[in-house]
Amino acid sequence: MSRSSWTLTWLVARREIIDRGRARSFWIASVLLLVAVAAGAVIPALARGGQSTARVGIVGGPAAALTETAREAGRISGTKVSVVTLPSITVARADLRSGRVAAVLVGDSEVLVKQQSLSSGAPGGTLAGALSEIGGLQKLYAELPAPVATRIARSGISLPVRGLLPPPKGLASRITGLSVAILIYVIILTYGVRITIGVGEEKSSRVVEVLLTTLRPVQLLAGKVIGIGLLALAQIAAMVAVYLLLGHAVGATTVTGATTEVVLAAALWLVLGYAFYCTAYAAAGALITRQADAYNAALPLQIPLILAYVLAYTVLYATSVNAFYHVLAFVPFTAPVAMPVLVAVGDAPWWQVGLAAVVSLASTVAMARIAGLIYGRAILRTGTRLKVRQVLRSSS
Amino acid sequence: MGGSDGVLELTGLRRTYGDVVALDGLSFTVPPGQVFGFLGPNGAGKTTAMRAIVGVASLDGGTVRWNGAPIDQDARRRIGYMPEERGLYPSMRVAEQLEYLARLHGLDQARARSAARYWAGRLGLAGHEQAKVEALSLGNQQRVQLAAALVHQPDLLVLDEPFSGLDPVGVDAMSDVLAERAAAGVTMLFSSHQLDLVEHLCTSVAIIHRGALVAGGTVDELSRGGQLRVAVRVAGDDRAQWTGGVAGFATVVGVADGTATLALTRREDAQAVLDVARRAGPVEQFGFERRRLSEVFRDVVGAEVDEGGTVGAGVAARAGGGGSAGGAGGAGGGTGGGLSGVAGREASR
Repeated sequence: MSRSSWTLTWLVARREIIDRGRARSFWIASVLLLVAVAAGAVIPALARGGQSTARVGIVGGPAAALTETAREAGRISGTKVSVVTLPSITVARADLRSGRVAAVLVGDSEVLVKQQSLSSGAPGGTLAGALSEIGGLQKLYAELPAPVATRIARSGISLPVRGLLPPPKGLASRITGLSVAILIYVIILTYGVRITIGVGEEKSSRVVEVLLTTLRPVQLLAGKVIGIGLLALAQIAAMVAVYLLLGHAVGATTVTGATTEVVLAAALWLVLGYAFYCTAYAAAGALITRQADAYNAALPLQIPLILAYVLAYTVLYATSVNAFYHVLAFVPFTAPVAMPVLVAVGDAPWWQVGLAAVVSLASTVAMARIAGLIYGRAILRTGTRLKVRQVLRSSS
Repeated sequence: MGGSDGVLELTGLRRTYGDVVALDGLSFTVPPGQVFGFLGPNGAGKTTAMRAIVGVASLDGGTVRWNGAPIDQDARRRIGYMPEERGLYPSMRVAEQLEYLARLHGLDQARARSAARYWAGRLGLAGHEQAKVEALSLGNQQRVQLAAALVHQPDLLVLDEPFSGLDPVGVDAMSDVLAERAAAGVTMLFSSHQLDLVEHLCTSVAIIHRGALVAGGTVDELSRGGQLRVAVRVAGDDRAQWTGGVAGFATVVGVADGTATLALTRREDAQAVLDVARRAGPVEQFGFERRRLSEVFRDVVGAEVDEGGTVGAGVAARAGGGGSAGGAGGAGGGTGGGLSGVAGREASR
């Protein structure tokens, strides 16, 4: 396009941005989305805050050995342990009741907790269970000289477990995956329908007839999707920034862990998804003749994303690889939701993400061609609502 | 190219929508600097022709030339267009809307702003600049629409029914603006059904029917054209009985309040009519009658509709219109420029 052509396109885009930016509903929706994202980053961290560290009291016995026992038990049960030495059983009981300590190791005789869990038979992965098992082992080693026993405890009593594959994505990553699936779906839908409504408004108010005396249809179309797209981009950037900054600030493991790549994949696919769908939503707007038809016209475009979103649950809660969902992740219609979900589950290596992105970009060009053709032919045709086939068959 | 400066030429425009023929070889020429009216019954093809000129409707055949060349995107920036179905952003403010349209037509920010302010004021919209278009009365929306067509100082104005829906004050304001723009040398084509207004305002008109030109030329030419008529009143003869003596060279068209209207075949016969009237008594009134534009309109449009036999005349006029459009740049353009329809029509008789 020539320079003046870009100028015209930019004038259209600028109008869209100013027009939307002035609408109160836009700001309300944006703020609500940001609040939701902030909550998604902060609330899990706050909820986990009480669990991730625990204070273990020790009473009597050789303090060094008991401290190592408590640390080792914390490592095994996945709890960060800080050890406090308590002067007496009485103090220990009081501290347990007040919640100042989570468990008390009384010499090599017993583990005290505030309330015994129901499944006390096999304490497994809990802190108290680990304390009891390791404390018991420690008792065996007590026959050895104290320094030897301490060294054994420090070097670890349990054998290290090493997997041949990287660990599966944790629950945090999966939760993030579900959130981004919802967000991507909501944002593409919201801004897409906004395009359909905008195009429908221009057509039904007949202002398009005035505009097209000086603009080419492609300039009007491009200006509209670029303008609304920039708004969407700003919103995506704000959400990602809030999620990452706030998440790191409160130390949320959903953010600090491997899920950053999920967030980045989500941002990438939001942009790709918008680019793919925006022209189609514009073409849908050009087919209608009354504003009230906008939602109906946009409905068929939502179905693939709804499908990808609903099926995301089967992937996020499954343990095995879902081949069908992998196919969806490469289909441009469903990829914007499906691919970030796979990334969240850890089922999509980077080369698959890249390949799907290339497929999506190529399809975006094809989609823009077809949608531009429909738009150009339908935007000036009044009368009854038009069908896609009817428009493609007719001459311009 | 001096001869074609500002001239808008339509040559053989054709367009069909399914079975409906909207334009059937329409040809005529609009010279610059005139208020030029575009007339025709509903469905005659006016709107299609105007949309084709501004490039929002495609043609099956024919050419539209302005300044001697086809209209490209650069040329379109110099066109001001007012569509039949009004088109503005309902929720956009008046000033912003005008400014936006001015910028789309190539004005920079500062000039767009001052032009928007000027035209809002000029068309009586002062005080409404910050109002949303949907909040305005229909008449004021109409003014905004005209301002939108004028805000970028176009050299060609294409206005589809600019007067519909305006109150008398609005009509006057609109008329003033059109006359002023024409005097400034703008080429102008506007359609209307208000024939008395058109007659008063326009220098030239083109009348189309069923997608083709049936009459065109200056309003003066059209008024003088057709059958010559005289209105005669003889004192004391309230039923115009004296007209019994004119048989053979004049026919009585009608009698009203003692004034007889007679149609003549030759101009010289007027003297014979006067002689007959004088012999009957003192002549109180004698004069050639101009045909009103509405009569011309009914004549060229209505006749064709009513009687199958006169369709031939319409076809002949069409051929005449098409034929002389070919020489539009030359002799035909002289006085009125509208040309041809009249010539063709008279030639066919």
